[in-house]
Amino acid sequence: MQILARQINVLDYALSSLWRRRMKNLSVLLVFTAVIFLVASFQMTTGALTRTAERVLENAPQITLQRMSAGRQVDIPPEYAARLSSIYGISRIVPRVWGYYFDEVTGANLTVMGLATDRMPMGDQLHLALASGSFPGPGSRGSVVLGRAVNDMVQARGSHLLSLFRNDLSMASFEISGVFADATDILTRDLVVMNIDDARDLFRIRGDRATDLCVYVTNPNEINTIARKIADLLPDTRVVTRPQILKTYRVVFGWRSGFGSICLLTALTAFIILAWDKASGLSQEEKREIAILKVLGWQTADILAVRFWESLLVSGISFLVGVTLAFIHVAFFDAALFRPIMVGWSVIFPPFHLVPEMTAQVVLLIFCLSVLPYLAATVIPAWHTASVPADSALSGA
Amino acid sequence: MRPSHILLLLLAILGAIDAGLILSAAQRRARQEQAARLQAIAVSGLGLTDLCLATEARYTRHPAVTDLVAPFMDHPGAMDHFPTGSFWAPPRSRL
Repeated sequence: MQILARQINVLDYALSSLWRRRMKNLSVLLVFTAVIFLVASFQMTTGALTRTAERVLENAPQITLQRMSAGRQVDIPPEYAARLSSIYGISRIVPRVWGYYFDEVTGANLTVMGLATDRMPMGDQLHLALASGSFPGPGSRGSVVLGRAVNDMVQARGSHLLSLFRNDLSMASFEISGVFADATDILTRDLVVMNIDDARDLFRIRGDRATDLCVYVTNPNEINTIARKIADLLPDTRVVTRPQILKTYRVVFGWRSGFGSICLLTALTAFIILAWDKASGLSQEEKREIAILKVLGWQTADILAVRFWESLLVSGISFLVGVTLAFIHVAFFDAALFRPIMVGWSVIFPPFHLVPEMTAQVVLLIFCLSVLPYLAATVIPAWHTASVPADSALSGA
Repeated sequence: MRPSHILLLLLAILGAIDAGLILSAAQRRARQEQAARLQAIAVSGLGLTDLCLATEARYTRHPAVTDLVAPFMDHPGAMDHFPTGSFWAPPRSRL
């Protein structure tokens, strides 16, 4: 009880001391908070996006097969699918035709996808993912299902048809049979889904060729084994497995990205400046204060306790406020500061309804990057000064 | 009022705000779980491989299945001119 009362008295003194130099401490607090806010916001945003990707893409195709030529992806002929039938364990192979369509009026890039949805897993339930209309049946040509942004673009033109230009500038028009629900915006916002033959006609892809093949295996534990067999059998192909897709999204928003590096470097620079300022020594006024306290009977340990409390208060409050503001920024303002960099010049992008990730790992990382260096940088110079005899400190002042 | 009481009050306010934020996050997560079923259908039924976050360049629209040369395809040594290229790091396993 006595120890607690003593620490509360020390805390009171530390608070009064901070208040005496309030302008200096407030400026440190603001810079510190801003740095922690930036780092925490980046961590929460990328954490939320990674978690979303992992949750959503766990149903991605088990194996995606692309044909490569001269380092670029090219169309895959139907013989490739036939050759895969020799591999035991493959349950189905579904060809897809997909690509990008640049809409010159709006400057938007659309993703056009043609496939036989009835051959896909859960393909018979796709109508549930629609907000309105229905999914065209197998073999039904001339109709499309649109992502919400594409539908908005068509509606803005006052049309009920989606008109796209082929390579030779002839026009292909499609009836809109359905629009995806807003719950799937993060996947389908720029999507135009059509019959595979319509997609071949639009992109002028010859015969039965496809852009890629979705390969499904009977035993999910054998994905990697079968992917290796496919790569051996068809050496001019790139085989992308579901685990690889999930891994891509785990690393794609990492610290190694340009923006991540900028956030980290900014934070590190700010800490180095703060630490340099603190470690380069206490001011004459602070040295004099310590000397007077020692003359009054304070021990070195008491002075260190005051300095420790001061540093802990500044860094701890900055940490709490910075992390709280970062949470609000990501959850309620949809990471508005990062948004221009995340979407770039995209015309179509989904509303970001992010749920910030606050794992113990994230909190510990930010804490270790911010609070611990500050504590070390402030307590060590104080210890140096406090260990000097009071009379010499006063005469020096 | 002692300075430590003011600090306690400040920490209590911050704690209350944080508790509210955690509750709000839990509600949002529950809403996300509801949407997850429809998203699973869309991903399975269409064989989707990527999130539709940035649509300006194909290597940020479909980072999982994109051409590896895409950012530098205009000419050898060409710099990436799309802003999202600075945010989306290429996966190391595919470099």
